Amino acid sequence: MRNLAAISLAALAGIWLAAAPLAAKDSNPKFKTVEAKHFDRAEGVELTPEFSDYLYAELRTRLEKTKMFGQVIGEGEVVEEADAPASVVLTGTLTEYKKGNVVESKVIGFGTGKRSLKVQVNVLRRSDQKNIKSLNIHVKALPNWNEKILAVEAARQIANEVKDSLEHEGS
Amino acid sequence: MGFQFPSLRTLSARGIHGVAGIFTMLLVFALAACLAANSAWAGDPKPTPDNTIHISLATAVAPQKFPRPVKFFVGDVVDRAGNAQPMLITSARGGIFVDRLPADTVREALESSLKAADLLSPDAASADFILNVYLFHFGLAPSLGDFFGKVELAVVVKDPKGGKSQQISASGTSISHVAKLKRNEMKNLEADFNGALADAIRNLLRGQALHDAVASAAAAQAPA
Repeated sequence: MRNLAAISLAALAGIWLAAAPLAAKDSNPKFKTVEAKHFDRAEGVELTPEFSDYLYAELRTRLEKTKMFGQVIGEGEVVEEADAPASVVLTGTLTEYKKGNVVESKVIGFGTGKRSLKVQVNVLRRSDQKNIKSLNIHVKALPNWNEKILAVEAARQIANEVKDSLEHEGS
Repeated sequence: MGFQFPSLRTLSARGIHGVAGIFTMLLVFALAACLAANSAWAGDPKPTPDNTIHISLATAVAPQKFPRPVKFFVGDVVDRAGNAQPMLITSARGGIFVDRLPADTVREALESSLKAADLLSPDAASADFILNVYLFHFGLAPSLGDFFGKVELAVVVKDPKGGKSQQISASGTSISHVAKLKRNEMKNLEADFNGALADAIRNLLRGQALHDAVASAAAAQAPA
Protein backbone atom coordinates (compact mmCIF):
# COMPACT_ATOMS: atom_id res chain seq x y z
CA MET A 1 0.00 0.00 0.00
CA ARG A 2 2.83 2.32 0.94
CA ASN A 3 4.59 1.48 -2.29
CA LEU A 4 1.47 2.35 -4.26
CA ALA A 5 1.21 5.72 -2.53
CA ALA A 6 4.89 6.43 -3.14
CA ILE A 7 4.56 5.51 -6.83
CA SER A 8 1.48 7.74 -7.18
CA LEU A 9 3.27 10.66 -5.55
CA ALA A 10 6.31 10.14 -7.76
CA ALA A 11 4.10 10.03 -10.87
CA LEU A 12 2.32 13.25 -9.84
CA ALA A 13 5.64 14.97 -9.19
CA GLY A 14 6.88 13.81 -12.59
CA ILE A 15 3.80 15.19 -14.35
CA TRP A 16 4.13 18.48 -12.45
CA LEU A 17 7.82 18.81 -13.34
CA ALA A 18 7.12 18.01 -17.00
CA ALA A 19 4.26 20.52 -17.18
CA ALA A 20 6.14 23.34 -15.46
CA PRO A 21 8.26 24.38 -18.49
CA LEU A 22 5.17 24.27 -20.72
CA ALA A 23 3.31 26.55 -18.34
CA ALA A 24 6.31 28.88 -18.18
CA LYS A 25 6.41 28.96 -21.97
CA ASP A 26 2.71 29.87 -22.10
CA SER A 27 3.18 32.72 -19.63
CA ASN A 28 5.89 34.31 -21.80
CA PRO A 29 4.26 37.08 -23.78
CA LYS A 30 4.98 37.21 -27.50
CA PHE A 31 5.46 40.99 -27.56
CA LYS A 32 7.19 43.15 -24.99
CA THR A 33 4.80 46.08 -25.11
CA VAL A 34 1.68 47.26 -26.88
CA GLU A 35 0.52 50.84 -27.10
CA ALA A 36 -3.11 51.48 -27.93
CA LYS A 37 -3.87 54.91 -29.30
CA HIS A 38 -7.19 56.73 -29.26
CA PHE A 39 -8.95 55.78 -32.49
CA ASP A 40 -9.70 58.46 -35.07
CA ARG A 41 -13.17 58.73 -36.51
CA ALA A 42 -14.17 59.21 -40.09
CA GLU A 43 -16.55 61.96 -41.13
CA GLY A 44 -20.15 61.13 -40.38
CA VAL A 45 -19.50 58.84 -37.44
CA GLU A 46 -21.92 60.23 -34.88
CA LEU A 47 -20.75 58.83 -31.58
CA THR A 48 -20.29 60.81 -28.36
CA PRO A 49 -16.78 62.02 -27.45
CA GLU A 50 -16.93 59.75 -24.38
CA PHE A 51 -17.16 56.71 -26.65
CA SER A 52 -13.54 57.12 -27.76
CA ASP A 53 -12.35 57.34 -24.13
CA TYR A 54 -14.37 54.28 -23.19
CA LEU A 55 -13.13 52.31 -26.16
CA TYR A 56 -9.52 53.27 -25.35
CA ALA A 57 -9.81 52.36 -21.66
CA GLU A 58 -11.62 49.10 -22.38
CA LEU A 59 -9.23 48.15 -25.17
CA ARG A 60 -6.26 48.49 -22.81
CA THR A 61 -7.97 46.19 -20.31
CA ARG A 62 -8.82 43.64 -23.01
CA LEU A 63 -5.30 43.69 -24.47
CA GLU A 64 -3.91 42.89 -21.03
CA LYS A 65 -6.21 39.89 -20.84
CA THR A 66 -4.90 38.42 -24.12
CA LYS A 67 -1.54 37.72 -22.36
CA MET A 68 0.23 38.30 -25.67
CA PHE A 69 1.89 41.48 -24.45
CA GLY A 70 4.26 41.91 -21.55
CA GLN A 71 2.99 45.40 -20.84
CA VAL A 72 0.14 47.54 -22.11
CA ILE A 73 1.52 51.06 -22.07
CA GLY A 74 -0.32 54.35 -22.22
CA GLU A 75 -0.53 56.60 -25.23
CA GLY A 76 2.73 58.43 -25.92
CA GLU A 77 4.89 56.47 -23.48
CA VAL A 78 8.49 55.65 -24.27
CA VAL A 79 9.79 52.14 -24.80
CA GLU A 80 13.35 50.97 -24.25
CA GLU A 81 15.21 50.79 -27.55
CA ALA A 82 15.99 47.14 -26.99
CA ASP A 83 12.28 46.37 -26.60
CA ALA A 84 11.14 48.37 -29.64
CA PRO A 85 11.46 45.57 -32.26
CA ALA A 86 9.26 43.35 -30.10
CA SER A 87 6.72 46.07 -29.41
CA VAL A 88 3.63 47.06 -31.34
CA VAL A 89 1.41 50.09 -31.65
CA LEU A 90 -2.31 49.83 -32.29
CA THR A 91 -3.94 52.59 -34.31
CA GLY A 92 -7.41 52.63 -35.73
CA THR A 93 -10.24 54.53 -37.34
CA LEU A 94 -13.95 54.26 -36.74
CA THR A 95 -14.98 54.22 -40.37
CA GLU A 96 -18.74 53.74 -40.26
CA TYR A 97 -21.48 53.80 -37.64
CA LYS A 98 -25.16 53.01 -38.08
CA LYS A 99 -27.51 53.62 -35.15
CA GLY A 100 -29.83 50.75 -35.96
CA ASN A 101 -33.57 50.64 -35.65
CA VAL A 102 -35.40 49.21 -32.64
CA VAL A 103 -38.71 48.79 -34.47
CA GLU A 104 -37.07 47.00 -37.39
CA SER A 105 -35.15 44.81 -34.96
CA LYS A 106 -38.30 43.86 -33.00
CA VAL A 107 -40.73 43.49 -35.92
CA ILE A 108 -38.56 41.88 -38.59
CA GLY A 109 -35.78 40.35 -36.48
CA PHE A 110 -33.22 38.03 -38.08
CA GLY A 111 -30.42 40.53 -37.38
CA THR A 112 -32.05 43.49 -39.12
CA GLY A 113 -32.02 46.90 -37.46
CA LYS A 114 -28.88 46.18 -35.45
CA ARG A 115 -26.33 48.82 -34.56
CA SER A 116 -23.26 48.54 -36.71
CA LEU A 117 -19.77 49.88 -36.18
CA LYS A 118 -16.93 49.34 -38.63
CA VAL A 119 -13.38 49.79 -37.38
CA GLN A 120 -10.14 49.64 -39.28
CA VAL A 121 -7.25 48.62 -37.05
CA ASN A 122 -3.57 48.75 -37.93
CA VAL A 123 -0.90 46.96 -35.95
CA LEU A 124 2.47 48.67 -36.40
CA ARG A 125 5.87 47.44 -35.32
CA ARG A 126 7.29 50.14 -33.04
CA SER A 127 10.90 50.01 -34.22
CA ASP A 128 10.28 50.73 -37.92
CA GLN A 129 6.57 51.66 -37.94
CA LYS A 130 5.97 48.84 -40.39
CA ASN A 131 2.34 47.80 -40.72
CA ILE A 132 2.28 44.19 -39.53
CA LYS A 133 -1.46 43.65 -39.78
CA SER A 134 -4.42 45.56 -41.07
CA LEU A 135 -7.79 44.41 -39.80
CA ASN A 136 -11.32 45.39 -40.72
CA ILE A 137 -13.61 44.69 -37.81
CA HIS A 138 -17.38 44.85 -37.96
CA VAL A 139 -19.13 45.12 -34.61
CA LYS A 140 -22.86 44.51 -34.47
CA ALA A 141 -24.99 45.21 -31.44
CA LEU A 142 -28.64 45.37 -30.48
CA PRO A 143 -30.10 48.83 -31.15
CA ASN A 144 -31.22 49.25 -27.53
CA TRP A 145 -27.70 48.81 -26.18
CA ASN A 146 -26.05 52.01 -25.05
CA GLU A 147 -22.70 53.27 -26.35
CA LYS A 148 -20.83 51.96 -23.34
CA ILE A 149 -21.84 48.37 -24.08
CA LEU A 150 -21.01 48.95 -27.73
CA ALA A 151 -17.54 50.19 -26.72
CA VAL A 152 -17.00 47.14 -24.50
CA GLU A 153 -18.09 44.79 -27.28
CA ALA A 154 -15.94 46.60 -29.85
CA ALA A 155 -12.89 46.43 -27.56
CA ARG A 156 -13.45 42.72 -26.92
CA GLN A 157 -13.72 41.98 -30.62
CA ILE A 158 -10.68 44.12 -31.54
CA ALA A 159 -8.51 42.50 -28.85
CA ASN A 160 -9.56 38.99 -29.94
CA GLU A 161 -8.90 39.66 -33.62
CA VAL A 162 -5.55 41.30 -32.89
CA LYS A 163 -4.61 38.28 -30.79
CA ASP A 164 -5.69 35.81 -33.49
CA SER A 165 -3.84 37.68 -36.23
CA LEU A 166 -0.62 38.09 -34.22
CA GLU A 167 -0.44 34.54 -32.93
CA HIS A 168 1.27 33.33 -36.08
CA GLU A 169 3.27 36.51 -36.66
CA GLY A 170 7.04 36.46 -36.01
CA SER A 171 8.09 39.03 -33.46
CA MET B 1 -92.86 80.19 -12.71
CA GLY B 2 -90.22 81.60 -10.50
CA PHE B 3 -86.57 80.47 -10.55
CA GLN B 4 -86.00 77.46 -8.36
CA PHE B 5 -82.82 77.71 -6.41
CA PRO B 6 -80.87 74.45 -6.07
CA SER B 7 -80.92 73.13 -2.58
CA LEU B 8 -77.42 73.03 -1.14
CA ARG B 9 -76.41 69.96 0.75
CA THR B 10 -75.86 70.81 4.35
CA LEU B 11 -73.08 69.29 6.36
CA SER B 12 -73.57 68.21 9.87
CA ALA B 13 -71.29 69.63 12.56
CA ARG B 14 -69.50 66.25 12.79
CA GLY B 15 -68.79 66.25 9.01
CA ILE B 16 -67.35 69.77 9.12
CA HIS B 17 -64.93 68.73 11.88
CA GLY B 18 -63.82 65.71 9.80
CA VAL B 19 -63.08 67.81 6.72
CA ALA B 20 -61.24 70.38 8.81
CA GLY B 21 -59.14 67.60 10.32
CA ILE B 22 -58.17 66.26 6.88
CA PHE B 23 -57.25 69.73 5.65
CA THR B 24 -55.12 70.37 8.74
CA MET B 25 -53.27 67.11 8.23
CA LEU B 26 -52.64 67.89 4.56
CA LEU B 27 -51.36 71.33 5.54
CA VAL B 28 -48.98 69.82 8.08
CA PHE B 29 -47.68 67.30 5.51
CA ALA B 30 -47.17 70.00 2.88
CA LEU B 31 -45.35 72.19 5.41
CA ALA B 32 -43.10 69.30 6.46
CA ALA B 33 -42.30 68.44 2.82
CA CYS B 34 -41.44 72.08 2.07
CA LEU B 35 -39.17 72.29 5.12
CA ALA B 36 -37.39 69.04 4.20
CA ALA B 37 -36.88 70.13 0.60
CA ASN B 38 -35.70 73.54 1.71
CA SER B 39 -33.14 72.10 4.11
CA ALA B 40 -31.90 69.72 1.39
CA TRP B 41 -31.51 72.45 -1.21
CA ALA B 42 -30.26 75.21 1.01
CA GLY B 43 -27.46 73.29 2.74
CA ASP B 44 -24.54 72.22 0.55
CA PRO B 45 -23.02 68.85 1.49
CA LYS B 46 -20.31 69.17 4.09
CA PRO B 47 -17.19 66.98 4.32
CA THR B 48 -17.15 64.57 7.23
CA PRO B 49 -14.91 61.54 7.89
CA ASP B 50 -17.75 59.33 6.65
CA ASN B 51 -18.01 60.91 3.21
CA THR B 52 -14.33 61.64 2.53
CA ILE B 53 -11.90 59.52 0.53
CA HIS B 54 -8.11 59.61 0.31
CA ILE B 55 -6.41 59.74 -3.08
CA SER B 56 -2.76 58.76 -3.44
CA LEU B 57 -0.52 56.49 -5.47
CA ALA B 58 -0.50 52.91 -4.24
CA THR B 59 3.02 52.47 -5.61
CA ALA B 60 5.38 55.07 -6.99
CA VAL B 61 5.50 55.31 -10.77
CA ALA B 62 8.90 54.38 -12.19
CA PRO B 63 9.98 57.19 -14.51
CA GLN B 64 11.72 56.57 -17.84
CA LYS B 65 15.49 56.40 -18.13
CA PHE B 66 17.10 59.52 -19.52
CA PRO B 67 20.29 59.53 -21.62
CA ARG B 68 22.06 61.59 -18.95
CA PRO B 69 21.34 61.83 -15.22
CA VAL B 70 18.88 64.64 -14.53
CA LYS B 71 17.16 66.03 -11.46
CA PHE B 72 13.70 67.55 -11.38
CA PHE B 73 12.18 69.99 -8.95
CA VAL B 74 8.42 70.28 -8.66
CA GLY B 75 7.75 74.03 -8.67
CA ASP B 76 4.21 75.37 -8.67
CA VAL B 77 1.22 73.09 -8.87
CA VAL B 78 -1.68 75.31 -9.86
CA ASP B 79 -5.28 74.21 -10.05
CA ARG B 80 -6.73 75.63 -13.26
CA ALA B 81 -9.83 73.44 -13.29
CA GLY B 82 -11.99 76.40 -12.30
CA ASN B 83 -13.91 74.28 -9.84
CA ALA B 84 -15.54 76.31 -7.06
CA GLN B 85 -15.48 73.29 -4.75
CA PRO B 86 -12.33 71.40 -5.75
CA MET B 87 -12.65 68.86 -2.94
CA LEU B 88 -16.23 67.89 -3.79
CA ILE B 89 -16.32 64.89 -6.15
CA THR B 90 -20.05 64.49 -6.38
CA SER B 91 -22.92 66.16 -4.58
CA ALA B 92 -25.14 63.09 -4.97
CA ARG B 93 -25.97 60.97 -1.91
CA GLY B 94 -25.09 63.71 0.55
CA GLY B 95 -21.78 64.44 -1.18
CA ILE B 96 -18.43 62.64 -1.51
CA PHE B 97 -15.23 64.59 -0.89
CA VAL B 98 -11.48 64.14 -1.15
CA ASP B 99 -9.41 64.87 1.93
CA ARG B 100 -6.89 67.16 0.23
CA LEU B 101 -6.81 69.72 -2.51
CA PRO B 102 -6.19 68.13 -5.93
CA ALA B 103 -3.05 70.23 -6.36
CA ASP B 104 -1.58 68.77 -3.13
CA THR B 105 -2.46 65.24 -4.21
CA VAL B 106 -0.78 65.66 -7.59
CA ARG B 107 2.30 67.27 -6.03
CA GLU B 108 2.70 64.40 -3.57
CA ALA B 109 2.26 61.79 -6.30
CA LEU B 110 4.80 63.46 -8.55
CA GLU B 111 7.38 64.08 -5.81
CA SER B 112 7.10 60.57 -4.38
CA SER B 113 7.61 58.99 -7.82
CA LEU B 114 10.62 61.18 -8.61
CA LYS B 115 12.08 60.62 -5.16
CA ALA B 116 11.75 56.83 -5.44
CA ALA B 117 13.78 56.94 -8.66
CA ASP B 118 16.31 59.40 -7.19
CA LEU B 119 15.32 62.05 -9.71
CA LEU B 120 14.00 64.62 -7.23
CA SER B 121 16.07 67.67 -6.50
CA PRO B 122 15.76 69.18 -2.99
CA ASP B 123 15.63 72.75 -4.32
CA ALA B 124 15.15 74.68 -7.52
CA ALA B 125 18.75 75.95 -7.61
CA SER B 126 20.29 72.50 -7.91
CA ALA B 127 17.68 71.12 -10.31
CA ASP B 128 18.25 70.50 -14.01
CA PHE B 129 14.58 70.99 -14.74
CA ILE B 130 11.72 72.66 -12.90
CA LEU B 131 8.28 71.22 -13.44
CA ASN B 132 5.43 73.71 -13.08
CA VAL B 133 2.21 71.77 -13.16
CA TYR B 134 -1.18 73.15 -14.21
CA LEU B 135 -4.09 70.96 -13.29
CA PHE B 136 -6.88 71.24 -15.84
CA HIS B 137 -9.07 68.41 -14.69
CA PHE B 138 -9.20 66.34 -11.54
CA GLY B 139 -12.45 64.53 -10.97
CA LEU B 140 -15.32 62.91 -12.72
CA ALA B 141 -15.76 63.47 -16.43
CA PRO B 142 -18.97 63.00 -18.43
CA SER B 143 -19.61 59.30 -18.69
CA LEU B 144 -21.99 56.74 -20.08
CA GLY B 145 -23.42 55.68 -16.73
CA ASP B 146 -20.27 54.66 -14.83
CA PHE B 147 -17.76 56.73 -12.91
CA PHE B 148 -15.22 58.04 -15.38
CA GLY B 149 -12.31 59.52 -13.46
CA LYS B 150 -10.03 61.84 -15.36
CA VAL B 151 -6.83 63.71 -14.51
CA GLU B 152 -5.46 66.18 -17.04
CA LEU B 153 -2.21 68.01 -16.55
CA ALA B 154 -0.23 70.56 -18.50
CA VAL B 155 3.36 70.72 -17.37
CA VAL B 156 5.85 73.47 -18.17
CA VAL B 157 9.33 71.94 -18.20
CA LYS B 158 11.71 74.77 -17.46
CA ASP B 159 15.45 74.54 -17.88
CA PRO B 160 16.76 77.10 -15.34
CA LYS B 161 20.26 77.15 -16.86
CA GLY B 162 19.22 77.65 -20.47
CA GLY B 163 16.04 79.53 -19.62
CA LYS B 164 14.09 77.49 -22.13
CA SER B 165 10.54 76.35 -21.29
CA GLN B 166 8.43 73.74 -23.02
CA GLN B 167 4.89 72.72 -22.33
CA ILE B 168 3.82 69.10 -22.36
CA SER B 169 0.52 67.49 -21.42
CA ALA B 170 -0.43 64.27 -19.69
CA SER B 171 -3.70 62.65 -18.86
CA GLY B 172 -5.03 59.63 -17.08
CA THR B 173 -8.42 57.97 -17.05
CA SER B 174 -10.12 55.20 -15.17
CA ILE B 175 -13.58 53.66 -15.20
CA SER B 176 -15.37 52.17 -12.22
CA HIS B 177 -18.89 50.99 -11.59
CA VAL B 178 -21.64 52.80 -9.75
CA ALA B 179 -22.60 50.94 -6.58
CA LYS B 180 -25.89 50.73 -4.76
CA LEU B 181 -24.47 51.40 -1.31
CA LYS B 182 -22.69 54.67 -0.65
CA ARG B 183 -19.88 52.85 1.18
CA ASN B 184 -19.16 50.75 -1.91
CA GLU B 185 -19.52 53.76 -4.16
CA MET B 186 -16.83 55.56 -2.12
CA LYS B 187 -14.55 52.51 -2.45
CA ASN B 188 -15.09 52.43 -6.21
CA LEU B 189 -14.47 56.15 -6.52
CA GLU B 190 -11.26 55.89 -4.49
CA ALA B 191 -9.96 53.09 -6.71
CA ASP B 192 -11.07 54.99 -9.80
CA PHE B 193 -9.30 58.21 -8.83
CA ASN B 194 -6.16 56.39 -7.71
CA GLY B 195 -6.09 54.66 -11.10
CA ALA B 196 -6.59 57.88 -13.03
CA LEU B 197 -3.91 59.66 -10.98
CA ALA B 198 -1.39 56.83 -11.49
CA ASP B 199 -2.19 56.78 -15.20
CA ALA B 200 -1.62 60.54 -15.52
CA ILE B 201 1.66 60.50 -13.56
CA ARG B 202 2.84 57.52 -15.59
CA ASN B 203 1.83 59.26 -18.82
CA LEU B 204 3.90 62.27 -17.74
CA LEU B 205 7.01 60.57 -16.35
CA ARG B 206 7.19 57.84 -18.98
CA GLY B 207 5.94 59.99 -21.84
CA GLN B 208 7.75 60.65 -25.09
CA ALA B 209 6.94 64.35 -24.60
CA LEU B 210 9.07 64.61 -21.44
CA HIS B 211 11.82 62.63 -23.12
CA ASP B 212 11.83 65.05 -26.07
CA ALA B 213 11.72 68.11 -23.79
CA VAL B 214 14.75 66.91 -21.82
CA ALA B 215 16.61 65.91 -24.99
CA SER B 216 16.00 69.26 -26.72
CA ALA B 217 17.14 71.18 -23.62
CA ALA B 218 20.29 69.06 -23.51
CA ALA B 219 20.91 69.70 -27.21
CA ALA B 220 20.49 73.46 -26.69
CA GLN B 221 23.00 73.40 -23.82
CA ALA B 222 25.59 71.41 -25.75
CA PRO B 223 28.37 73.59 -27.27
CA ALA B 224 28.10 74.03 -31.04
